[in-house]
Formats: sequence, structure tokens, C-alpha cells
Amino acid sequence: MTDQTLTPVQSPPSIRLRGLVALVTVLAAMLLLPVAIGDEFIYHIFITMCIFAALSTAWNIVGGYAGQLSLGHAIFYGIGSYVGVMLVGMGISPWIGMFAGAALAALVAVAISYPCFRLHGPFFTLATIAFLEVFRVLALHFRDVTGGATGMMIPLNIGWEWMVFRERLPSLIIAFGMLLVILAIAWWIRTNRLGFQLIATRERESAAKAAGINTVRVKLYAVAISAALSAMVGTFHAMYLTFIEPASAFSLPFSIQIAMFALIGGIGTVFGPLLGAVLLVPITEFARGALGGEAIGLHGFVYGVVLVLVALFMPNGVMGLVSRFFDRTKAEAPGQAGAIAKLPAQPEPDDIPGPPKAVPEPGDEIVRVVGLDKHFGGLHVTNNVSFKLREGEILGLIGPNGAGKTTVFNMISGFLKPDGGEVSVRAADGGWRSPVTPADYAAIGVGRTFQIVQPFAAMTVEENIMVGAFHRHHSTDDARHAARQTAERMGLARYLDAEANSLTIGGLKRLEVARVMAMEPRVLLLDEVMAGINHADVLRAIDLMLSIRDTGVSIIAIEHVMQAVMALSDHVIVLNSGRIIAEGKPNEVVRDPDVIEAYLGKEFTHDA
Amino acid sequence: MEVFLQVLVNGLMLGGLFAIIGIGLTLIFGIVKVINFAHGEFLMVGMYAAFLLTTALDVHPYTTAIAVIPLLFVFGMLTQRFLIQPLMNARDDHIQIFVTVGLSTALINLALLVFGAEFATTPPSGLRTALEIGPVRVLVGQLVVFGAATLLVVGLTLYLNNTQFGRAIRAVAQNRAAARLMGINVNWVYIVTFGLGAACVGLAASLIAPLYPTSQTIGTYFVLIAFVVVVLGGMGSITGAFLGAMVIGLIDSFSAYYIGSDLREVAVFTVFLLILILRPQGLFGGRQTLSHVS
Amino acid sequence: MGWSKTLKATVAAAAMMTATPALAEVTFGALFPFSGGLALLGEESARGLEIAVDEINARGGVQGEPVVLERGDAVDNNQAIGEARRLISRENVVAIFGSYSSSRSIAASQVAELAGIPYFELGAVADEVTGRGFDYLYRLNPTAEDMGEMIIEMIVEQVAPALDIDPTELTIGILHEDSSYGTSVASHQNRFAAEAGLNIVTTLSYPANIVDMSSLVLDLKEREVDVVLQTSYQNDSVLFLRQRHEAGFEPAAIIGSGGGYSMQQTADAVGTDLIEGVLNIDFTQYVVNTEFTPGLEEFVETYRAKYGEDPRSGHSLTNYVGALAVLEAIDSAEGLEPAQIRSAVDAIDIPAGTTASGNGVWFDENNQNQRARMMGLQWQDSRLVTVHPADAAASELRLGD
Repeated sequence: MTDQTLTPVQSPPSIRLRGLVALVTVLAAMLLLPVAIGDEFIYHIFITMCIFAALSTAWNIVGGYAGQLSLGHAIFYGIGSYVGVMLVGMGISPWIGMFAGAALAALVAVAISYPCFRLHGPFFTLATIAFLEVFRVLALHFRDVTGGATGMMIPLNIGWEWMVFRERLPSLIIAFGMLLVILAIAWWIRTNRLGFQLIATRERESAAKAAGINTVRVKLYAVAISAALSAMVGTFHAMYLTFIEPASAFSLPFSIQIAMFALIGGIGTVFGPLLGAVLLVPITEFARGALGGEAIGLHGFVYGVVLVLVALFMPNGVMGLVSRFFDRTKAEAPGQAGAIAKLPAQPEPDDIPGPPKAVPEPGDEIVRVVGLDKHFGGLHVTNNVSFKLREGEILGLIGPNGAGKTTVFNMISGFLKPDGGEVSVRAADGGWRSPVTPADYAAIGVGRTFQIVQPFAAMTVEENIMVGAFHRHHSTDDARHAARQTAERMGLARYLDAEANSLTIGGLKRLEVARVMAMEPRVLLLDEVMAGINHADVLRAIDLMLSIRDTGVSIIAIEHVMQAVMALSDHVIVLNSGRIIAEGKPNEVVRDPDVIEAYLGKEFTHDA
Repeated sequence: MEVFLQVLVNGLMLGGLFAIIGIGLTLIFGIVKVINFAHGEFLMVGMYAAFLLTTALDVHPYTTAIAVIPLLFVFGMLTQRFLIQPLMNARDDHIQIFVTVGLSTALINLALLVFGAEFATTPPSGLRTALEIGPVRVLVGQLVVFGAATLLVVGLTLYLNNTQFGRAIRAVAQNRAAARLMGINVNWVYIVTFGLGAACVGLAASLIAPLYPTSQTIGTYFVLIAFVVVVLGGMGSITGAFLGAMVIGLIDSFSAYYIGSDLREVAVFTVFLLILILRPQGLFGGRQTLSHVS
Repeated sequence: MGWSKTLKATVAAAAMMTATPALAEVTFGALFPFSGGLALLGEESARGLEIAVDEINARGGVQGEPVVLERGDAVDNNQAIGEARRLISRENVVAIFGSYSSSRSIAASQVAELAGIPYFELGAVADEVTGRGFDYLYRLNPTAEDMGEMIIEMIVEQVAPALDIDPTELTIGILHEDSSYGTSVASHQNRFAAEAGLNIVTTLSYPANIVDMSSLVLDLKEREVDVVLQTSYQNDSVLFLRQRHEAGFEPAAIIGSGGGYSMQQTADAVGTDLIEGVLNIDFTQYVVNTEFTPGLEEFVETYRAKYGEDPRSGHSLTNYVGALAVLEAIDSAEGLEPAQIRSAVDAIDIPAGTTASGNGVWFDENNQNQRARMMGLQWQDSRLVTVHPADAAASELRLGD
């Protein structure tokens, strides 16, 4: 459904080159066209275009990358405007005021977003609108500071120092320069660790947490950067307007407009907002000239209808169309044809796996679980569960549906807080820790997969694995290198450029494991990685797990496929109705009458 | 003391007004799970319709409800069917929000185009007559709005609990996938729910039109308040929305009198933000409305 | 690539679309909010300007050339700037007339100032419009300050005597919407009241889109306010007038400051009983002693003939008178260069009581017209009648029946 994977990073060089040429052409036109035409009004349109493109690109860092739909971004723009104008009033150049405004906006952004980021979806949007209203009303109320409703004016001191000019070219140069800087920052974020983490967070927050991402923190980075950039544009725009007032500085329609340029250009893409502004600003300006004076409301009506139509029929914006064009060219390139990732046929191993190879002696304990308890309402889903995991061991966790296996997993990976009991993990330095959040678990080396696969749909296979690799690596190149190695090992190397969504279920399960493996965990929690995949894949998965174990990683695996459990596990725990009913070597456990009863019902125990 | 009572009553009456607008929104927001930014414009459309009918046919404004409610019901159904439903499966809810924002912009400007910037005043027909009850004064029209809001809460609650279709709506609200498995036509339920939500606004429009001058921007004020009310009450909780409306009405009234009328919005939104942050399931909502653990 | 070509094509096409060949005519800009929330009175203001232009053209135009108006839509501040730029650079206007809204005027006039093009403000009242030391900005209409002064003057000279009470014994409450208009008028009311020794007991502000004013009414009622001064748009005027009645709050006088109080729809909305006797301060309206406003009847005739309805407010009249004075001055200037226009306009000396609005024209050092004044009005028998000052009054003030 999305074309947001189109980044300069993974496109083949020829397409990258073309995209670059297109981008440079647009940007050059934005600077050179008004100079060539030399008309003040054209200058104004292009300055407006740069301002909106810059604001929209900055918005996109939060609204697009992080997926947090802010409709209150005028707060930050307004803070930038006001701080800039106030400081000019004190004789301080807007070049300095710009950074003061940015700093304040970033602080405000973090302060108001921190509580809001705990809210999902529409609530964040509503909260941003509410904050915007509060800021506007406060700006009206504190007249001594803000000038109240009458607003504030700057003295018309001409010159670069004050950002006020008689001719228009310098204003265009500043607006254009700001746009370039903001685009560069947006591009840098998108192609680096922060961008991957933001998009992972947007796509699947829980999977992102499992990949060791502190999702709240990365979203706060995004909002702080976005707010600071918006504020800087706000300072410049205030100097350009020479006059600010609460009604226009903290305006909801203005906030919506900023978001709309991004929507129409392509939310979440680096250059979509730019494209949206470049297309829409001139059309809007001229349409207003053509329609506005004649019948009041007609122009706004057309505007609203266009917005609805774009959202309905072009949800990926103009960038969606552009990248569809690129995709077609990509499909023609050899070796890239069709991203259908059915797993390759491999030499079939023996139907019944032989006895496990020489199993290395389990080492010291690495995870201790003591007396875990969890209630959901009246349901006692985990009842005094205790077990230990040793280094280099595969621990099988089995039990009928609803036995509470996944709940236990959630509690030993930080996704659920136990009502009682304790989980401790031995850190690499040998000390014992009790992690709390998913990020803590990831940091100490516990990685997990999800029963229902959670790929980052808008990313390619390689990017998915890179999200895991970024847990260990800071630079993009290192992460890519590590991801490719992991993919090689997991048999996913051929699909690196495929969209995660195009994989088969078996492929997705392996992707899930690959992402965790790229985190180089010491303890691996696998939740039904073999459910729903075909026989051949099960056998391959068994080999894979054994090879992972052989590298010294300890594994806890929830599994339904008995064949796999028997073949893999050094030790098996059977859960039923939230409590451990049996424990031991795999072949002992399956003969336990309690276990048979739990799985098959009471009558079978007597026959057995 | 008299003043206090009057402020209290004013707050409750204001609460009735917010409630009757908020109830429709809580249906849409809580069950279809769409932020309908055009909700206020639905009210505006309804109020213009009530105005036109009242003046053209020379009838009591309340009688226009017979036509306005079905009109809004159909309008809501069409909105859901042709604007929201195609985007129900969109990966994020941004797109739906943009659609409703676009719809809102289009409707406001359409009203400007058709009716001009002038206000449309529906004849008050005696509904703005003040009744003196002991030391306090209330308007006949406000009492009717309050009563209608109460009846709407009771009626909708009975409907949702006791009819086949009402139960289907609740099932869909709880778990869309499970409801589909149970053989419920989820899309149809959404369409009808959206229509019901809009129809509530239609009732509100007929009752409010004689009390307030209609303008193309009347919805923008109410829509934010309505969202506050809905969030306060807990998503999809009708009783919650009613109680939330009372709370907001009282906060509005008391803050306007005791703090200052220019800061009433700050008071209302501050409470809203505090609730969002401290109790996102709403003051009166159940615990599970927002809990989201994968 | 494809889209950059499209962009270029768009810009080029638009450039061709808007470029008009220069004929032997003089182009002026008409910069008003023609769309958006301010459109109604923006349009009304522009009509006054259009009638002035028609009249000048009927007399042979300016310096022998016909006058053409180019409209600019100042829907928001950024747009006001853009349209001012377009008018100046693309339409080559010799001067700009505007703008009804003060914030649009403040934003757009700096463009004209930096470009050295005269800007004639015909209707925006905020103090900040003039007083910025601009050389090319002139304002012909009376201001918010004048509004505040006139209200206090009317209380002292007319209201208090009619109520048979010493002005300082009146309790006065100020109520205003919180945009620039309400805020600045209210601050002047406070200042002039203090100078006159009047007793202002409270100043309450609220957002113009308010839906319930019962708390404010209650506050005024509790303070036993005799005179309410409200500065408001239409919605809040209607709301206050209704809710004060419903709450049983009966002040001795209610005085509006233009806005909603000058509009016939407000009177229609609240009904004859509630609007009767309400006072108001605004630009010159239509029921006035026409000896003070020669040409008013002709203006109304022309307006009806041109637009097929009665003037919707006094904005058109005030814009007409201001524009006509400026156009006449430019006609007698030595040329159309900004400096020539300025010196011709600087020399204008029209006494009060000789124009259709009664306003004279004479600019002070801030380029503010010192001979334009607001008038005191009262709703009498559902008509807005001029009651102050005495030489313009069409009827006596009626209070305290």
C-alpha cells in the first residue's frame, strides 16, 4: 500500500542519478526562475513556496517518519515568530533570535509531546490541537509580553543583519537556504539510524521496542528537531511579514495546511513535502486570483474538495506516482524482477532428523525466572511460574492454546509487567540485572520474535534487518553490512530489496528471526516461528536454530510443532492454565500423564 | 449563593448543549473509530436546513426535526460509505483525518458560497423565554435541549443494549474482526452508525437553531468542545459523553465567571489535556478502551 | 523531470494569464479581504471605492486618464503581502487603496512603504496602522482611538444628562471580543474614561465565536453596571443582547462600537424590543442630518443603482468619501510619481461637514486624517439614527423612558 520505501539509499544507481537530477532541477528552478523573471510577485510566491516546503518538510519528520499526526505545528512556528520579534525589539538580530526560538520550541515540544506520545493515534492529534488553542489564547491574554491581539511589529531596519530588505532576492536566498538545510536534515535522518528507528516505531511499535528502540525517546528526538526547524522558519517568516499576531501565528488552518502539503506530496518521503509545496503554492495563489474575488467561498470549497479527492484516490501523494514510475523502471532491471519471495528449494534433509549432534554441555545460568504471577481481570493467566535458562541451551516452552505461554514471553521481554515475581538476566559482565522495559531487555541482550509476525511493512527486507542491526551499530554502513551478513545466514540474501510485505509467511518468520539475530542477542525468545510454515521449512528452521544455539546463544522457544520441540529442545517446560505442569527432557515430558491430559483431555490419559 | 446557583445552572444547561452535540460524535468516534473533523459542519448543515425549512414553511423550528434528522442520517451514511469506508483499511488513520478535514473545509466554504457571510437567524418562537425557578433563570429552549440530551442518552443506551442491530454495533465496536467472523456485516454497521451519529446532530441542529444565530463557522467552535466531551467520557460511551459534557459545561461556566471569560478555553483544554495524559480511557470510560498491548 | 516541466509551465502560463497590457489608463490597487471570514465587510468597503472611481471617471478620470481598479484579495496576512507585491510589480498600480482589516493593512502597507508606493487606508481602525513613521501610508478614516474618545464624550455629554445623573456616578462595564479590534477600542475606552474621571468597574474580554455569555452577563449584573460598552462582531452582539435580557439584566444604557451593533441583521436577530434604544459608535451611517453630509443621498442612489440593494453598512460610505478625496487630489497633482501624489495629498484641506460622510480631510504629521470622526448612533424604531455630535444628529437621544 505504500511506496515509502523509495529512498535514495536502496535504489539502483541509475535511478538514484535520475532522482538526483530531478531534485536538483526543481531546487535550481526554485532559485533561478524568480531571478530570471525578476518580478516581485513571483519572488513572493517562491519565497512562500520555500517557507511552506521547509515547514512541511520539518513537519514530516514527526508526521511522516514518526507517524505522529500533529495538527498543532503552528505552536512551534509561532514560538519562533514571537521569540524572533521580541528579541529584535531588544536589538538582537534574528539570526541569533532564530536559535533562541528553536531552543525554546524544542523544549516546549518535548514537554508537550512526552505525555502525548503515550497516546495512540487520534489522541495525539487532538492533544496537539488543544495545545495550539491554549497557546493562542495565552498569547492573546498576556498582552504585556506578546502585545495581545494587536500583535507585534518589527522596526523596518534594512539589511542582512535584520533580515529585512528592500529588494526580494535576499529574502529568497534566506528562505531557499533554510529549505536546503531542512531538506538535508530530513534526508540525513531518513537515511540514518534515527530514521530507521522512527519508521520502525511508526510501523510496529511493539516490534520496534523488541528491536531495542526506545520508542518514546526517538519520537521525542523527532519532535524536538521538527519543532526547532519549524521555529527557525517562523522567525524568518515573521521578519518577512514584519508583523505577527496570535490569530495568524498560532493558527489551526495554517497547521492543517502544513500537514496537507506533506500529504499531497507524499507523507513520510523525504522530498514529498517539497513536491507538495512546489505544486500547490503556485496553483493556490493563481487559483485565488482567478476564483477568489468572484464568489466568496468558491476557492475554499474547491480547496476542500481537492483535499478529499487526493486523500481518497492518491493516498501516497505525488511521490507515490513518481515512485511508481521508478518502480516500473526497476522491474525492468535484470535480477530485480518481481519481489516474490517464495523460499528457495533446498536439498531436503532426511525426513526424520537424526539425533541431535553432539550437544555442548549447557553452561551457567543466564536467565532466572522466579514466581511470576499475572492476572487479567479475574483470570489467573500466569501462576507462580519459575524456571532457569542456561547458556547455550534450547528451552522448549509448550502447552495447549491459552496456557499462558505468550504472556510469560511478554513478561520476560518487558512488554508486560508481572503482578508478582522476578526476572533476572546475567549481563555480559557477569552481573545480574532485573530489566524492566523492552529497551532494557534489548540492551542486556534479550531479543524476541512475535507469534504474529510484525514486519515493518513500509521497509525492504534489508531495512527490516537493519533496524535490528542498528541496535549494535551506529553508522548506516555498518548496520547495512551486518544486516547483509545476517540475511546471508538466514537465507534471505536474495530478497534484500524486496518489500517485506511481499514475502511468504515462511519468509516473514525468517525475517522476524533475522531482525532479532541482527541485534546479536545472547538470549533469543522465539514465539512459534514454525507455526504455519511447510514441512521443508520446518526442517530448515530446526537446522537454523541449532546453528544459532551452536554460536552460544541461549534460546527459549514456544512451539506447537512437536517434531520440532523433540528435535530441538535440551529441556522442555509444559504450561497449562498458567502453571508449570511438567518439566524435563523432551522424551520424558511427552510421556507425562498430566501433559497428555492437558493436551488431549482426560479420557486419553486412561487409555495411555 | 444565588450567583453560585445561577452559574451552576448555566453550566448544566451549557452541558446539555455540549451533550446533544457530543453524543453523535461519540458514536462515530467510539465505534467507527474515525476522527470526524467535519462533525461541527454536520451541525452547521443541519442548522441551515432547520433555518430554511422554518422560514420557508413558516413552521415551528422543532418540527423541522422531522426532515433534518433523516437528512443528516443519509448525509452521514453517504459520508461513511463514499469517503471513509474506502480508507477504513488504510495503514494509518492520517488519511481519514485528512478526508474529514477536507470535507469540513468544503462544507464551510459551500455555506459561505450559498448563504454569504451573513448570519441566518431562525425565529426563536418563544424558546428564548426565560423561566424563573426560584432564584435562577433558565430558557425554555435550554431546558428542552437538556431534556432531549437526556432522552437521547437513555434511548440510545436502550437501543444498543436491547436490539439485534444495537448489539451488532457494540460487537463491532469491541472487536471488528471477531464481529466479522460472527457474520456481522461490519461495513453496513459502520454506515448505519455513522448515519446515527449524524442523525443525533440533526436533532441537535433543530433544537439549537432557534437559540443561536447560524453561521458557516458555528461548527468549528463546537467540534473541539465535542471532542473534549467525548474523550472525557471515554470513547464510545454514551453516558460518559453526557457526563463529560456536564463537566465541561460546568468548567466553562465557572471558569468564565470566577477566572475570566478570556481564559475559559484554557481551562477547558487544560482539563482535557490532563485527562488525556492521566486517564486516557476517559473519566467515565472503562479500562480497556485504549489499552493496546500487542 | 516531468514535474519540474509542469511547474515551469504552470508559472509561465500563470504569468501570461495575469499580465495585462499597459493602456492609457491609471491603475489603482483595491486590496481588501474578498474571501474568508472578513469577506462581507471587505466587499462592502470595496464598493465604496468602486463608486468613487466611477464618479471620477464620469468626470474625466485622473489627469485625463480613466481610472482602473485592480482587485487584490487579502485573505490572510501572508496573502495581503503577496497581493500587495502583485499589485505593485505586476499591475504597476500608482497607489493602493485598502483594506478594512487592520492586520491586513499593517502587513500590506509595509510592502508599499518599502516599494515607495502610496497606500491609502480607508477603513482599518487599529492605532498601529499609522504611527509607524511610514512616509507613503495615509489613513483617511477615524480610528479606534476616536471611537473610544467619542464613546466617553457621548456618555458625559448625552447619556448622563439624559439619565439625570452625574457621569462620575455611573458604573461602567466594558465588554470586548479579544481580537485586535475589541482590544484596542476597549483600551481607549479605559484611557478616556480615566481622563474623564468615570468609574469603570470591570473589563471583560472573550473570543468572538463564543456561544454562551451568561457568565459575563451575570458578572455585570452582580456589579450593578449602569452602562455597558461592548465592542463586538455580530454573533457576540446578538448573544449579549439576548442573554442580558434573559438574565433580567437591565442596564441604563448599552453602547456598541460599530461591528455587530451597526448591522441590520443584528437588529433582526434580536428583535425590535431588544435593539430599541441601544447606542452605538461607528463610521457615519445613513440616518443623519444631511445638512452635515451633503451628497449622502446621491451616494445611496448610486449604490442602489449599481448593486441593486441598500448599503449594508457605513463602510462603503466612508471608503467612498476617503477614496474620492484622494482621487481628486491626485487629479490635481503634477504627475503620477509617488512624490507628486504625496505632495498633492499632503495639501488636501477639506473641512468637516462638506462631504457625504461629514468627514473632512487634513493629514497630521503621522499621515492620519485629523478631520474624520466617528458618530454617535442609536437604534430608534429599528433604524440606526445619528444622535451625536449635535450638528450631525438626525434625532434626539432617547433614554430613561
